[in-house]
Amino acid sequence: MPQKVTGDDLLKVLLQVLLYICIMYDLLFQTVSAKIDLAEDEKEFCKSIFIPRKIRKKQYLLQEGDVGRYTAFVSKGCLRSYTVNEKGSEHIVQFALEGWWIGDMYSFLTNEPSKMNIDALEDSELLLVDYPSRENLFEKVPKFDRFFRLLLENNYIATHRRLISTISGTAEERYLAFANAYPQIVQRVPQHMVASYLGLTPETVSRLRQQIGKRG
Amino acid sequence: MKSTIAIIGATGKMGSALARKFAQAGYPLLLMGREQERLRELSSGIWNANCPSIEIVGCAKEAAWEADIIIPAVPYAAQATVAGHIKPVSIGKILISIANPFSERCDSLLPPQGTSAAEELQEVLPNSKVVKAFNTIFPGDFEYPSTEGVTHDSFIAGDDMFAVEIVSRLVRDLGFNPLVAGRLCVSRTLEGMMLMLNGLSHRYGYNGHAAWKVITRHEPIKIN
Repeated sequence: MPQKVTGDDLLKVLLQVLLYICIMYDLLFQTVSAKIDLAEDEKEFCKSIFIPRKIRKKQYLLQEGDVGRYTAFVSKGCLRSYTVNEKGSEHIVQFALEGWWIGDMYSFLTNEPSKMNIDALEDSELLLVDYPSRENLFEKVPKFDRFFRLLLENNYIATHRRLISTISGTAEERYLAFANAYPQIVQRVPQHMVASYLGLTPETVSRLRQQIGKRG
Repeated sequence: MKSTIAIIGATGKMGSALARKFAQAGYPLLLMGREQERLRELSSGIWNANCPSIEIVGCAKEAAWEADIIIPAVPYAAQATVAGHIKPVSIGKILISIANPFSERCDSLLPPQGTSAAEELQEVLPNSKVVKAFNTIFPGDFEYPSTEGVTHDSFIAGDDMFAVEIVSRLVRDLGFNPLVAGRLCVSRTLEGMMLMLNGLSHRYGYNGHAAWKVITRHEPIKIN
């Protein structure tokens, strides 16, 4: 629905945007530089590849049935990917906070329609890259191949841990492992979503938090 | 999921006509203009059950940042300034040039020989995908995309095939028949075509209601 915009709002937005343009790529380069060294001209090339996209809380980045053309780097905000079953229940596959990546890798690589949805839990700023642009990046700046390989390895390790935890951990073990590894997520997302991610009921998570709280 | 479209200069004749049609076709919209009151009126006027969202945005940069497709619906004279504002957040995005760069007396085109308003826009925004479209349609004719059952043609020109395909889909969703005329340099012809049609409209009294249709006896090849 239409919103009211005042002159003050315009000035604030303009100043904010000027600031953001400067820092739009900062977090990306910080994250990348942690794994590979980038020269200035390589950073400039990067800036021509990634698509800056702002999305509002509750807006979709990807809807089930569409092809997941983009892998997104989160500069600011929080997103989740999730599936919805025939009964309408949501199961969260992944969260993404600042500095994290999110997308449907399967759809990204195969061009098949996604079985997932990705939406924003907070107003967010993203840097998107599609498959052909990423290939172009690998060609022009070959060290990015190493960067994405390292990312994939970390993703594999995290997924493996999650799989083992899910199939053999108790509810309490699983909750604690998650809360200890990702306290920022527990703070920022609603409790029922943490439950959905862990495959537990909201009541179980609530009970666990109380028990853990009491033990302190 | 339909692409989010930002219309900069949404209260102008072309801007508001496009906003109305995109809203009907179910595209999420970001409307930006200098007159807040008129934007609010436009927004309420075009709101319909089909449209996922219509947001009024106070700044061209913010509108472009949130969009997938950006349409500068501003006079040709303002094109370079607007492009400069939105440049950092337009990287990799589709920009639709709807400009008709006529002289004040509408008797010549302003861009020098060998270029066009669309190509000039592409030069200022080298990392965006500029596509020429909708410039050969009079603002008042968006409500009438066909005459006696014959769908009007809407010409498209661009260098990026993916962008051209997306814009073709937009054109079809608005009720027109998309014809890909060629690479972005064909914009010179498309801008010239509208100069001529505008002149014909004055000379023969079409009153801004006239459209293009390529007539052929051959069955056209089906292109997606």
